[in-house]
Amino acid sequence: MAKTRNEYLPEKAVIERIIEESADTKTFTLRLVDKGKLSYKPGQFLMLSLPGYGEAPFTFASAPRKDGRFEISVRRVGSLTEALHKLKEKDVVGVRGPYGNWFALEKLKKKDILFIAGGCGIAPLRSLIQYVLKNKKNYGMVEVIYGCRAPKDIFYKDEVKAWGQSKNSAVHLTVDEPDAAWAGACGVVCVLLPKIKVNPKTTMVFLCGPSVMVKFAIRDIVKLGFKEQNIYASLERYMKCGIGKCGHCYVKGKYVCTDGPNFSYAEMKKLGIES
Amino acid sequence: MEKLFITKENLKVLIASLKKDCAEFIAPRYEHLDDIVLGDTKADGRELLNYEGNSVISPRAFLLPQTEELFEIKSAKNSEFIAVEDKKKRIFYGVRPCDIKALKLMEEFFIGGEFEDKPYKEKFRNSVFITLSCIKKCSPESFCFEMGSGPFAKEGFDLQLTPLNRGFLVEIGSKKGSQVIRKHKKLFSKAKPEDEKEVRTLSLNFTKGKKRINYKRLARIMRENKVQESIWDDIGQRCVVCSGCVTLCPTCSCFSIQDRLSGAQGSRFRYCDGCVYAGFTRMAGGSTPFPEHKDHIRRFFEHKLNIDTQRYGVSSCVGCGRCIQTCPGNISIRKFIEQAVDGS
Ligand SMILES: Cc1cc2nc3c(=O)[nH]c(=O)nc-3n(C[C@H](O)[C@H](O)[C@H](O)COP(=O)(O)OP(=O)(O)OC[C@H]3O[C@@H](n4cnc5c(N)ncnc54)[C@H](O)[C@@H]3O)c2cc1C
Ligand code: SF4
Ligand code: SF4
Ligand code: FES
Repeated sequence: MAKTRNEYLPEKAVIERIIEESADTKTFTLRLVDKGKLSYKPGQFLMLSLPGYGEAPFTFASAPRKDGRFEISVRRVGSLTEALHKLKEKDVVGVRGPYGNWFALEKLKKKDILFIAGGCGIAPLRSLIQYVLKNKKNYGMVEVIYGCRAPKDIFYKDEVKAWGQSKNSAVHLTVDEPDAAWAGACGVVCVLLPKIKVNPKTTMVFLCGPSVMVKFAIRDIVKLGFKEQNIYASLERYMKCGIGKCGHCYVKGKYVCTDGPNFSYAEMKKLGIES
Repeated sequence: MEKLFITKENLKVLIASLKKDCAEFIAPRYEHLDDIVLGDTKADGRELLNYEGNSVISPRAFLLPQTEELFEIKSAKNSEFIAVEDKKKRIFYGVRPCDIKALKLMEEFFIGGEFEDKPYKEKFRNSVFITLSCIKKCSPESFCFEMGSGPFAKEGFDLQLTPLNRGFLVEIGSKKGSQVIRKHKKLFSKAKPEDEKEVRTLSLNFTKGKKRINYKRLARIMRENKVQESIWDDIGQRCVVCSGCVTLCPTCSCFSIQDRLSGAQGSRFRYCDGCVYAGFTRMAGGSTPFPEHKDHIRRFFEHKLNIDTQRYGVSSCVGCGRCIQTCPGNISIRKFIEQAVDGS
């Protein structure tokens, strides 16, 4: 019998840097301790292990790098994420992956791209945004719409600003609860749609965020003429294994962990799901 | 392939010899009052050479146990995991054809495809399966012939025995099976034409008046949403979420993973889980894609009767009838199938 890899066995990864993005979210820069690197593509996720707390899926939040370092941004919502937030630099966690499908990079060449993120949803999109902006000459106009609860909840602040300063790119921000210093837009992400310059007929759209946001943003951009097969959303489901075995992420015959987590709106409609 | 024959006395000799060659000999035996349950009889010799009915639990319980330790956590702080390997050789005796078909599907699910489930594969590949085919329906609830899995296994077994008047007819289903025969040549003789004739009669008796279910058509009916909503409503009302069905079903595969620490060390376990639980798909924050109770049991039926038929070409309900026998709300997947097919 050929010796096969135990897919459930986590590899050790060391936390190299921790950045506080908002009151409840931190970004962790990780590196494998033992060997090589996780060769992932934007849109894929990993399973992070914290012994005693189990495992949880997190999407890579940085574009693949030559040095093998990768980032995840984690919102504190429960037991594992709480414990993870308590860790310090140089602490060790377990990781396995990469898992899931990736954003269809081939289909993006020469195209305009629109990103729509709500809250934490910016994290999964960030790896693709970084990737696209790094290879900007291969792509058309890149626009990012990013909505948060309040100005203090905006992640990657300086980086987000810089995204809008590339040639042929723009960033549009909106918050629900502006503070005194806020000069930008207010309200849900959809209020920013009139501002975008990309051509609906040919633009690829990537969405990630709370399910109500995804639902309404898709509804509105379809109305603007964006094509169903050009709209991709990153879906969130409860996951235990990440490799299509445990059954938790199952939706109408698809396993979100292996068939997704990125689905086109055309596929989502076929599955009868809105977010 | 040529069929062989073994007498009851020689079968006992064979079993005694096989027991020396394995860590566990899993066979049907009486447990509690008169329940027949698969269990290890290597030491106590309680195995039944022949029996009526089927084991309460399926062989799945040994390959995907209710709980199993996947890893020893050597150091929680350093995320040091050591895989717990189960390399035990198990010989399964008296497994029913329906359960053999279920194992075939489970093999495809856990071992085929993009990712392999190593803990399952290890146990499965180290096992030998000796089937005992059915000359009588195991229970009023079973419908294996209708689902194309019984009363004889067509593949997936290493050896298949069929009980006859003068002993057992033997079929070889795999290399592992022929190795067993080669090692015990003296115990077997060639089957006689009348043995095969007896099998044909048994088969005719078993299948008399039964009709195969067109599970492709059934899958289409479900896919096109043609099952009356009132049927789902009724099922939803009957299900009390005891989870007996998913615990006993030979093709249920869902699990969860959990850690247990005591101090700096501990274990990572996996345990069987079930899609009939409301919390099965609930995410952090409490939202769930399947909020309604009836959707949970529906998910179970959809998976077996529609999705898997698309995925494997056959339904993953093998018709063993266990879920029907155990359900306190009298939900019957068999009746559901009839209603779905007739009502559309
Ligand atoms: C493919 C995929 C990618 C993901 N990527 C990311 C990512 O990049 N970043 C990220 O932060 N998350 C991401 N998630 C979500 C992340 O996996 C979950 O947040 C995580 O599993 C929660 O684990 P936990 O142990 O902390 O929570 P658990 O302890 O398992 O559960 C949390 C419990 O806390 C309570 N709770 C949780 N949230 C709330 C709330 N909002 N309000 C009130 N109570 C609450 C509930 O009772 C809930 O049951 C992703 C999920 C998937 C499926
Ligand atoms: S669904 Fe019920 S009848 Fe079908 S294989 Fe599972 S337990 Fe047996
Ligand atoms: S369901 Fe059929 S094959 Fe399975 S034990 Fe019963 S009679 Fe035998
Ligand atoms: S997370 Fe286990 S099947 Fe998808």
